[in-house]
Amino acid sequence: MKTRREVLQGMIVSIGGASMLTACAGVASVIPTDQPQGSRFYSADELALVSRLADLIIPRTDTPGALDVNVPGFLDSLMADWANADTQRAHHQYLGQITSNLSSSFVTLPEGAAIPLLEQFDKEAYSGSGDHRGYRALKGLITQAYFASEDGALQEQEWVAIPGRWDPCVEIA
Amino acid sequence: MTDFDAIVVGSGMSGGWSAKELAERGLKVLVLERGGEIVPQRDFTDQVPPWKQPNLDRIAQDEVSKHYFKQYPGVSYAVKETTKHLWVKDDEHPYEEAQGTKYDWLRGYHTGGRSIMWARQSYRLGPQDFEANKLDGHGVDWPVRYDDISKWYDHVETFAGISGNRDGLSQLPDGQFQPAFDLTCAEKEFKARVETQFPNRNVIPARVAHITKATDEQKSLGRTNCQVRNRCQHGCTFKAYFSSNNATLPAAMRTDNCTVIHNAIVKSVEYDAQTKRVTGVNVVDSKTNETFFYSSKIIFLNASAIATAMILMQSKSETFPNGLANSSDQVGRNLMDHVSGANASGLISGFENKTIFGRRPGGIYIPRYANITENDKPYLRGFGFQGTAVPVGNGRGQIAGIGKDFKESHGTPGPWQVGISAFGEQLPNPNNRVTLHPSKTDKWGNPIAVFNVKYGDNEHTMLQEARKDAIAMLEAAGCTNVNAAPVDLTAPGNRIHEMGSARMGRDPASSVLNGWNQAHDIPNLFVTDGAFMTSAACQNPSLSYMAFSARAANYAADLLAAGDL
Repeated sequence: MKTRREVLQGMIVSIGGASMLTACAGVASVIPTDQPQGSRFYSADELALVSRLADLIIPRTDTPGALDVNVPGFLDSLMADWANADTQRAHHQYLGQITSNLSSSFVTLPEGAAIPLLEQFDKEAYSGSGDHRGYRALKGLITQAYFASEDGALQEQEWVAIPGRWDPCVEIA
Repeated sequence: MTDFDAIVVGSGMSGGWSAKELAERGLKVLVLERGGEIVPQRDFTDQVPPWKQPNLDRIAQDEVSKHYFKQYPGVSYAVKETTKHLWVKDDEHPYEEAQGTKYDWLRGYHTGGRSIMWARQSYRLGPQDFEANKLDGHGVDWPVRYDDISKWYDHVETFAGISGNRDGLSQLPDGQFQPAFDLTCAEKEFKARVETQFPNRNVIPARVAHITKATDEQKSLGRTNCQVRNRCQHGCTFKAYFSSNNATLPAAMRTDNCTVIHNAIVKSVEYDAQTKRVTGVNVVDSKTNETFFYSSKIIFLNASAIATAMILMQSKSETFPNGLANSSDQVGRNLMDHVSGANASGLISGFENKTIFGRRPGGIYIPRYANITENDKPYLRGFGFQGTAVPVGNGRGQIAGIGKDFKESHGTPGPWQVGISAFGEQLPNPNNRVTLHPSKTDKWGNPIAVFNVKYGDNEHTMLQEARKDAIAMLEAAGCTNVNAAPVDLTAPGNRIHEMGSARMGRDPASSVLNGWNQAHDIPNLFVTDGAFMTSAACQNPSLSYMAFSARAANYAADLLAAGDL
């Protein structure tokens, strides 16, 4: 398996954006400089944000993470092909709100700073106070996209195409 | 000399049965299907894994707005990118609703019709259902009783493959069942607690049209046991659940007595005033607009309750100026569905170290108790509850947390949740109608449908009470976080159980069909789709359509053999 950094780098290269990855150990963050040519919906900044969030929400563990299965690219296509103009507009707005809620430099923060910041924000978003529809919608899409991927379904979720039998009560070891 | 012995209009749930039974009796049968041909190898998408489904299997929003603006909101759990070909495009098949009313006409035009997309819940009507109209005066008396249809339920259950328990309940008679899908541990506990607190109520495993112990007859049709995948809305290449495609049509075809013609929209049925018989059907090819006439000795209308009523109304003649077999003026009236909109859910504890394996069809069923075992209700008739008690898992990322723990939480079963949802009986009401639009037509020149259907006080009161009952049962079962949204009645048609538009009855002056599904006015015309239903009961109706279709087809074959048609 490639390192997460290699995956992210490969993705940025494949979509053609001039970019760089910070060299800090264990950190993969993106500094985009212009519109990624391969991206159909997201701006370079947006793609960087979605990539960073996807990586922090569903990181690589002993199974592939959201970047390994290209969740950002999947969502870029989803928004280009599935969403109507209203949904697209709202999605752009949501990303702007998330950026301003977190920090304009969020995508460049090292992991040690980004994780506590996002954890706090995520906690708020599910506390019932404030309007966090945008973040919750994006997190839902990232999660669904991940588990709809082959690796997410088969490796992480252990999805079985043909269970072949019904066991109504399984003891969890 | 006629082209065929029998014509069956429609290849869905009931038409497949009419075709099978008539063909097996040796009649030469023509099945006319208004939609295109379903080729399972090409059109069933049950083998497509999640990662091959584009866009999370969502239909593009602009496409929904343009083509599926009724179908998608009406049945969004089943109308997906990889199943949309099984549902009509609303812009191509328009209809209208009377001012101040709403009607969900949810359909698929293709081989097998909605027998591919149905929810497969399969319950007999009970003795009380055939007596209900007579007892409370709503609608007309059924001309049949439970004992008349019981053996035909046996007949269709044996062939179709129904999994269920023998529960010994008089209001929901047992049948020829294959083994049920066992209740989950939480469902067993829920059952025990509810039945203790409410001795007049029962919680049983859902009865579903899924093979769990394939018979030799089923194996001979290439059918196998259910693989517990929950891919049913995509079709089933294992042929494990009952559909026309999986079961009745192949059985009809292997007799070499059956022909199916697709893209054949029936415009009208021809009537001969001399012989007082129907003689055949006028058809337009939906692709070429060519018109055809096919003749036969017997005609079975199985186009679904609404389309059958429309075909009758479109078939005007000097004898029947208001539509064929409509001397009673009951065609298109008494349109019924089931009514939902009373739901409750709650968490049930004690099963934190347990989970389930497999994606079972169905769950639990709480058969009707209102006005059967409990007689203190402020409404007539009653409802059943469908439900489940299963681990809720992690709902699509909508919990707090990020990182490894969040990711791995999706592999844990999470708390167990009980959820139940009422399906109530709608009273027959002659003012609930489908009529033909006086001027608007579809692209084949056929009048479009106009619906004027409203629920009455009884349905509103019943659902309010159902909600209270649901909450009380969940609380009695020790559920926490009990949640029940305010009652919000489903639109008429939304349960996709439309029926009653050419009802059976004893009196030709007030009903369209006699007790053999035979038109009072015309001995060689039969209607065995949901149109015949004299009352709706509260059980999912498909099994009854099957049983009455099989009975009527054999009756018609008997009459033909005896020279009585």
